[in-house]
Amino acid sequence: MRTATMRTATMRTATMRTATMPADVFRAAATAARGDRPSARGAHGAAVRGPECGRPGQGGWLREWLAAWNAFWFTPADPLPLALVRIGAGALLVWAAFVWLLDADAFFGAAGWQRPENVWRMNDQPWQWSWYFAAGSPGGVRLLAGLTLVAAVMLTLGIATPLAAVVSLAGFVSAANRAPLNVFGFDDVLGMLLVAVAIGPAGAVLSVDRLLAPDATASRPTVRANLALRLLQVHLCVIYLFSGCGKLLGGSWWEGTALWGAAANVQYRTLDLRWLAWHPFVTNALTLATLWWEIAYAALVWPRLTRRLVLAMAVPVHLGIGLAMGMMEFGLAMLVANMAFVPAAVLRRAVGPFLGTARERS
Amino acid sequence: MVETMFMQPEAVGPAPDRWSSVTRAVVSAGVVLYLACVIVPPLAGPPPASGLAVAALQPLRPFVGGLYLGHGYRFFAPDPGPGHSIRWSMEFADGSTRTGVIPDRDADRPRLLYHRRFMISEKIAALVPPDGAPEEARRQSRGDWQPLVMDVAGHLLDRHGGGRVTLHLVEHYLPAPEEVMRAEAGADVVTSLGTYARAEESLP
Repeated sequence: MRTATMRTATMRTATMRTATMPADVFRAAATAARGDRPSARGAHGAAVRGPECGRPGQGGWLREWLAAWNAFWFTPADPLPLALVRIGAGALLVWAAFVWLLDADAFFGAAGWQRPENVWRMNDQPWQWSWYFAAGSPGGVRLLAGLTLVAAVMLTLGIATPLAAVVSLAGFVSAANRAPLNVFGFDDVLGMLLVAVAIGPAGAVLSVDRLLAPDATASRPTVRANLALRLLQVHLCVIYLFSGCGKLLGGSWWEGTALWGAAANVQYRTLDLRWLAWHPFVTNALTLATLWWEIAYAALVWPRLTRRLVLAMAVPVHLGIGLAMGMMEFGLAMLVANMAFVPAAVLRRAVGPFLGTARERS
Repeated sequence: MVETMFMQPEAVGPAPDRWSSVTRAVVSAGVVLYLACVIVPPLAGPPPASGLAVAALQPLRPFVGGLYLGHGYRFFAPDPGPGHSIRWSMEFADGSTRTGVIPDRDADRPRLLYHRRFMISEKIAALVPPDGAPEEARRQSRGDWQPLVMDVAGHLLDRHGGGRVTLHLVEHYLPAPEEVMRAEAGADVVTSLGTYARAEESLP
């Protein structure tokens, strides 16, 4: 009963609140498009679409689509999840930039693993730009790699965040486009995170910017924050969907033995999982769970009923890959991306002490 | 409780952030473009891919390349295969030799640096046909992988100051569970990638 009351209150302020999930969005959009409240409720308090909802003619269906689109992309959202994504992505970029710097001449220099002219020939030029193509000396290469590192540190801490985000993204893209022989899935995911961070107000909270220039309105929900988080959410669904569908082309994923192929690969292995040879059903279960979780992610992460299960599954999958196959950076990047689906209210409870929430309220 | 668990806080305090319909229309066009740049590349490759997806990718190339979005997202697909490394042996002017491997599990630390170098052997291996492949396929693929190998060889010669270097691609045997249980192991497959001198000429 209490739940139903709270839901009703929520529906009344549908255009005010920062809806994050399509179930909310479509319901709110349908209501907004009709200019009334939901016409009925089910036995458990769930909104039931009225008979006029979705009725063809008079532009009703198209109007609902437009309202749903606007609600999905242009409803203000709390910037806190994006700020946490910024911290995670920034820290990962700090680490990535540091490792690039350990052998910068080999990765980006004129006599590196790949010469610039060959990279230029292989890449889709002139679109796959890189500022390392303009670096004429080893010193210039290290300077540019160092610039990325500095920008990444600033991004993580939230110092001059908008500028740091753009320079970080430029440094990241430059590295990836200059060293295509040396990039892998971690870079795919980190790029996705940095684009979202550059688009949204990632330094609105949990940043040095906010400490130096306190602004009570900075943490209010904004459309830009919503846009950035939505792009991240949809992009993440695309990644899981294609990753899962690609696996369907392989017999070992259907047989449930693919995980063995990863565990027994000596080049990847950091944790000895050869004991799985004596437990084929465990291998089957882990393989099939991973496969169907990836395929279903794009559908099941949106409904409230299944979202927590889907997000919870991401933790063992990605930490498992990180620990067993030595790709912890990739695993952490995926977990940071999954944070875009965690509701701001939950995150706000978790990091409340760092937000000075009480002071802002007063 | 379940219903309220994932609700977002309601907007309080200042007036909510609202965009005009013109702004929303312009931004919507940008959103559609960005989503196209995210969705079309994995449809267009790696193979198999439709001609439609490949054609749809063409006008998006500036954005896909500029934002580093051209990915297939086929992690460990279609099947996790064997790992690869590149063994090299270098000859110096004084007659001495030196050997190494890319990646070097013992020397390439931290692990991310190992992975960066591991990708060199993995990406070259993806272009080198197996020993049993038809001669025509092997000849045609040479134009794809040999420039990469020449660059790697040139880098190794520059780094270590050697006179010439011989490289071999090693495909590490991937044992079946039954083989592990019997404590058996198959042999790695070794494919020559050629010998390269400082002048970047492939020696016979």
